[in-house]
Parts: sequence; structure tokens; C-alpha cells
Amino acid sequence: MISDTLFMMLFVGLFLSFIILGFFIWGAKTGQFDDTSKMMDGLLFDSEDDLNDAVKKEKKISEAKNKFKNSK
Amino acid sequence: MNEFTRKNALSVKCNHCQIAFKNEIMIEENNLFFCCKGCQSVYYLLQDEDLGSFYNKLGSKTLASVKKYEKNDLNNFDEDSFFSNYVKETQEGFSHIDLIIEGIHCAACIWLNEKILFETDGIIEAKINFTNNKARIIFDKNEIKLSSIISKIRSIGYDAYAYEVSLADENASEAKKDYFIRMMVAVFSSVNIMMLGVAKYTGFFTGIDDDIKHMIHMAEFILCTPVLFYSGSVFFKGAYYALKNKIINMDFLVCSGAGLSYVYSLYILLGGAGESYFDSVSMIITFVLVGKYLEVIGKKSALDTLDTIKSKVPLFATLVKKDGKKVVAIAEIKVGDVLELKTGEQACVDGELLAYESSFDETALSGESLSVDKKEKDPIYSSSINLGSLIQYKALKTYEKSTLNSIVVLLEDSLNHKPKIEEKANEFSKVFSLLVLGIALGTFFIWYFLGLSMGFSYGNISVFEKSFIVAISVIVIACPCALALATPMASLIGISSLAKKGLLFKEAKYIEEMAKADVMVLDKTGTLTNGLLSVKDFKLSNNNIFHLNLMYSLVDSSTHPISKALKKYLEEKYSDLEYLKIDKIKNINGKGLSAFYVNIKKESFELLGGSSSLLKEHNISTSFKSSSSEYIFCINKEVFACVTLEDELKDDAKDFIAYTKKNNIKTVILSGDNIKVVEKIAKELDIKEFYGNINPIEKANYIKGLKEQNKRVIMVGDGVNDALALSYANVSIVMKSGTDIAISVSDIVILNNSLKALKDALILSKRTYFFIKQNLLISLVYNMITIPLAVFGLVIPLVAALSMSLSSLIVVLNSLRIKNKG
Repeated sequence: MISDTLFMMLFVGLFLSFIILGFFIWGAKTGQFDDTSKMMDGLLFDSEDDLNDAVKKEKKISEAKNKFKNSK
Repeated sequence: MNEFTRKNALSVKCNHCQIAFKNEIMIEENNLFFCCKGCQSVYYLLQDEDLGSFYNKLGSKTLASVKKYEKNDLNNFDEDSFFSNYVKETQEGFSHIDLIIEGIHCAACIWLNEKILFETDGIIEAKINFTNNKARIIFDKNEIKLSSIISKIRSIGYDAYAYEVSLADENASEAKKDYFIRMMVAVFSSVNIMMLGVAKYTGFFTGIDDDIKHMIHMAEFILCTPVLFYSGSVFFKGAYYALKNKIINMDFLVCSGAGLSYVYSLYILLGGAGESYFDSVSMIITFVLVGKYLEVIGKKSALDTLDTIKSKVPLFATLVKKDGKKVVAIAEIKVGDVLELKTGEQACVDGELLAYESSFDETALSGESLSVDKKEKDPIYSSSINLGSLIQYKALKTYEKSTLNSIVVLLEDSLNHKPKIEEKANEFSKVFSLLVLGIALGTFFIWYFLGLSMGFSYGNISVFEKSFIVAISVIVIACPCALALATPMASLIGISSLAKKGLLFKEAKYIEEMAKADVMVLDKTGTLTNGLLSVKDFKLSNNNIFHLNLMYSLVDSSTHPISKALKKYLEEKYSDLEYLKIDKIKNINGKGLSAFYVNIKKESFELLGGSSSLLKEHNISTSFKSSSSEYIFCINKEVFACVTLEDELKDDAKDFIAYTKKNNIKTVILSGDNIKVVEKIAKELDIKEFYGNINPIEKANYIKGLKEQNKRVIMVGDGVNDALALSYANVSIVMKSGTDIAISVSDIVILNNSLKALKDALILSKRTYFFIKQNLLISLVYNMITIPLAVFGLVIPLVAALSMSLSSLIVVLNSLRIKNKG
């Protein structure tokens, strides 16, 4: 009985931590950890304005891409 | 700040760059203060663009005050030759350019640059890397010109240089990312395995159910597998290629140790009795991988340095022809061409001066901060900056063969082939580990064939299994852990105690090199001396405070080293100096300054300050003579003050040289400065060997020569001119006050610029190296006792596992002793 509970806790724990590791690898592969100095200061750039900027940025990129495709 | 305190405050912070300046020189406007026009215009630009929050993000940091860019090179960026060289096309069909941004101090600077670029029409994406200040800007070439992008960056007080992304750099970035992920997976797994290990090892003493133990083994197996086969695959690759070339390297030992332990543990997991060693497998891989990752980072930052140097090389030069001037790319310059150099521009080829006198800043070549005056026919070296008026010079060499390019090429070469330090300590563990592997293999065959021929039986396991278990126990008990830890552990403690004394070691292996060095090559300016002029002799013709104020105001208006030194001296000696508003300040070709002052009674005073040759030009005679730098100040053509300035030795220089003598380390001075000055310093310090007037390449050749005589050379320097020599030396040490380029090619950085720290470095390195050897001896003795026991099959698995931890513990505890004393 005890070993069953332990077994479940251990492997559920392992499973969850592997999911987190997966997210970490995804982050590293998409370049979020490339610039260590910038990453450390990331906390300072987390306001509402900064989030709005990020959305604007994505919009601008996709608009530019569409425009470029249409002009071809 | 209210009216009262503001008037009384001696200094005010500039609203843009946040540096405090004296009240009088600030530009005041609507209760805002600026130190210069540049800062003022950037401040208003940011307010207009609604980017005022930049100053909140800046926190308590300060920026460099904005230089007004008077460069007229914007058109060059739109030249076809420039465009085709630096602008590349993205997959979507946009253009992108790689730049290095100059003037970045903090994350807020990055934010500001990215934001202002992003809000410009035509720019699609701007990404700036804080670590190396490299930026990649994607833009639509039909909507925005390259020159407008550059001018946008300049408008907010930064500057940008284009650079070519090399294949090596891209590979290094990829490798860095790859190793980072591998390392993090290994660290993640090892940490978890260690936690499971707590339960497992407690079980040794309190007893543990077989099914729970099996469960822990199972979990360890799951965690360990990615470490060995994903993170550790680099070692398998390395070992494979080395074996292909018939070499056995460290990778092979890591693989065989970790691989065999893994296979054995897997056998235990699948039903054999005994202990598993998944934990040691993942720990070994993790430790070695962290070391590799640090190496990869080092290589990447070396490449970044090269890009920074290369990007500073001027790309265009103004060619003077009979039918007018033409801007050409530097590669097109031929020998004999006449080139024009404006104030503040950098010469790109070697040549000789044609018209007018001028002074040049040759810091990059000589390391001396004082400018050099040149006449007609004097040689001009590439990389020197023209400080005087517009001049013309004749090219005597092409760009390829010029000093600047040859330094860059040599530096590139030496960074790519930095001599491998053969570490005796590691060499020893390599031989030793091979021996252990050999013994294990021998043990296996002897047990197997002896068992077969004698017909032994071991209960329920076969002869093969028994032989295998015994052989593995030899490897496990010989413990690659203690051996692997012997050097790094001692180095780690050594490095951390060195850091407390103000020394930054970039890699641990330099401890061994430091401890064994026998020649120390020292640069003069900035290393042995303070690199700053200080007043030696100060004579006044009278004690009129008004005259002193005039002199103070004149030296305050210049940033020349002599002026700075004099200003500091005057401020220290006289407490009641006042700043007077002088005007018509003129810089006379780096020889000195002239200016006028008009008082309330409309009396005019002509001020003149500078060298004796300046006085001669103005027909003022003086009997004053000095052996080193001089400064003479005249009011209305009458000499008021004669000053002698000298670069002073650092306080602890004598003590340090005495220490090196006692320890049989030969010291040599190599300097770009005048031989007479070098001789004086060398005599004062009692150094027998010294050289003056030598250029960076000669410096590097001297070091090379020493190394050919099998000497171990430590080079201590600080300037761009030392960079090449530094990269050739066995160990290179740079003062924190040195230039960025020198710091990045160095192995050790002295944070407090003192020679006492350098002495501490020698003492502690010797001590640490002693402890490394002691650690290796401990593990050797330990193994000499335990290996024979394991070979005869007398060690039970439990003891093997415990002894593994014990031997590591002894090594760690012994290393901690480095901290005591010293």
C-alpha cells in the first residue's frame, strides 16, 4: 500500500518535472535564453506598456509580411 | 529641487545622462539641466516620441554624455558597395543588416534603441543583444534607406557600426545554445537523482524494502538515460573521432567510465543483485559538461571581440585626385594615392604626412595617451586618429599590408589557435584512469578464464556475470569521481579566494600556468605606473589669485591628460578657485590652448597654455626646461606658471618587483613609450631588461621568442597595443582600467588595478597548485589500497558505493584548507 502511494507520487512528480523541462527546452530553442544579460533585466520590462508593445510588434511584423506578399 | 538649494549646490545632475556637473557649465531650461547640447536634444526627442519612461527604467545608472556626431559619412551607407557587402536578404524577401551598437550601458539603453527603431516606418524588426551589443535589423529597403536607420540611432546618442557575420560566429552561437540545453538537461536530472539518492543511501543504514529500492533505481534510470545519451552524446562523438585518429582523449575516459557504469546499473535494474550507479553516471557527465560549456562561452566572446575590432576599421577613405575628391572603399586604395583625413578621423592605411602639421592619437599602437606631433614626411600609421586640422597623406602601403589590418589578422589567428595549455594535473589523471581501465579489463579476463578453466561456481550467477561484477567494482572503487574532483575542487576554492582579493580568473587552468611561470613581461603605462600624469614641479611667478583663476578656467576647458592633471592639482592645492567665463578658446594642433578673458572694466587678457614649442611660435622666450611633460601658462605674453608633469609609479610596484626577484621570476618591461622614460622607470625598479619604442607586433614577437626558448610567460598589460602580445602569452593579465579589447583577450583581470593583487595572484596560485598535487596524491594512495582488494573480489558492492562518496569527501575537505592562511 505504502509503496503504491510512493510509486504514484514519484512517477507523477517525474512526469510533471519532465513537462517543465520540455517548456524550458522550448524556451531555450526559441532563443529566450540567448542573451543572458538581457534576461536578467527582463523583470524591469514587464509592465502593461511593454506587453502592449509586444503585441504591436507582432502585428507590425505580420502586416509587413502580408503587404510584401500582396505586392509580389 | 527648490531655488535655494539649486543655487547653492556645487553640482547638478544632467537630466539626460544623469552625470553630475558643475552648476556654471550646465545649460538651464525650464528647470531642466543639461550638460551639453547633445543631451538636451536627445532629452526633447525622447519626450516628443513619448519615451520619457526611459529615465524611470534607467534607475540609478548614468549614461555617457551625448557626443554630437559631426561625422559626414551618412551617404557612404547608401553606396552600392557597402550595401552589397553588409545587407543580406531574409527568407521573406526583406533586407537585414548586422550592426554593433556603441554606447550601450544597461537594459534601458537596449529598450530605447529597440523601441525607437521599431517605431520607425520601414523597420520590421530590431533585436539587440545586451551581452555583445550586436543588433540585427530587418527592414524594407523600398521604404527606408540604410542611412536613415543609422542616423536614427545616432539621433538618440548612440552610434552603430556594420560588421560581417562570419560563419565561425554563427557556429559558435549555435554551439553555445546547444551546449546550454544539454547542460541544463544534465543539471536537471542530476539534481533529481541526488534527491532520490538521499533516500537510497539512508536505506543503507536503516534498511530498505527491495521493491522500494527497485522503484528508486527505476526512477534513476529514467532520469539518467537522457543525461548519458543526449547530454553525453558530445563525449561519445569526441571519443569516436579521437579513436578514429588513434588517440585516446579525456572524452574516451568519460565515455568508458560512464558507459560501463550505466550498463552495469542496467543489469542490476533488470534483476541482478547489488547497487546501481546511475547517480555517478549523471554526476560525471554533468560536471564535465559544465566545464565544456564554459569553454564554448569563452570561444564565443573571443569572436565577439574580433567583430568589435573589425567593425571599428574605417570602411571608406577620401581620395584626392586632380579633378576633385572621391570617396572610395579602403580595399581600392593603391600605393601612392593621396588621401584626406579630417579632424577625428582614423587613418586606414600606413603612409606619410604631406601637408600641414598635425597631432595624432596613437593610443591603439603605443598605449600612450599623449598625442604625437607630426611634421611633413613623418610616417602615419593606420589606426591613429587625427586630432589636428584637415591633413593630406600619401598611402605607402595597401590596406591589406597596413599595420591595422595585420594586427587584426594576427589577433584572429591567435584567438583561433590559442596554444593549448598542457595541464600536468589532468595529464596525470588521464594516464591514471587508463591504468585503472586496463586493470579492470585484465581483472575481467583473469576471473573469466580462471573461472572457466578451474570450473568455479558462484551460486546462482554465471562465471561471466561474476567476472563482470568484479571488473566493474574495480572501476567504481577506483572512483573517477575523486580523480575528476581533485583538480576542479582545489581550483574552485583557489579561484574564489583569489576573487576576494580582486582577481578574476577566466579559467581554472591558468592557476597551474601562473604557479609555474618563469618570465613576467610588464607593460609600463597603466601597469607599473598609474597611467595618469601628476604634477611634479609647480612654479609661479607671483601669487595672484586672479591669475590662478584664469589658469584654472583654461585647463578646465580641455580634456587633454595634461589639462586634467593640472585641474586636479589646482583643485587640491587651492580651495577658493573660481571659474571665469573665458571665450574664443582655440586648440592649437594638440600643442596647447589659447583663449581670451574680458573683465568688467573691459580689460582684455590673452591666455596661452601649452608646451615650450607653442611659446616659441608665439615669440615668447623662457628659460624653463623639463625632462618630461611640461606646461607653461602665459598671460598677455608673460610667463605666469611653469609646470613639470610625470607619470608616477604605483605605490606597490617596488614591493612587487622584490617579490618576483625572491621567487626567481624574471621581469621585463616592454613599452611603446620613449626609451628614456622606460629606462628611468626600470632603473628605479631595478629591472635589468627593458625595451622602449616598440609596436604591438614587435611586442608579440618578443613573447613568441621567449616561448620558443621554452619559457612560461606571463604578460601584464592594459591597452589595445598589448592585445596581440597578451594573446600569445601563456597567461595574460589585464588591469580593470584597461581597454575592453585587452580585457576580453586576457585570462585574468585585476579588478583593483593594484600590483599587490598581482603578488597575491602569484602566491595563491602556487598554494592552489600545491593542493592540486596533494589531492592527486591522496586519491592515488587511496586507490593503491582499494584497487587490489577489488581485483581479488573482496569488496562488497555496499562498501564500493560508500567508499566512492568517502574518497570524494576527503578531496573536497582537503581543498577547503587552501582558504586557511594567505
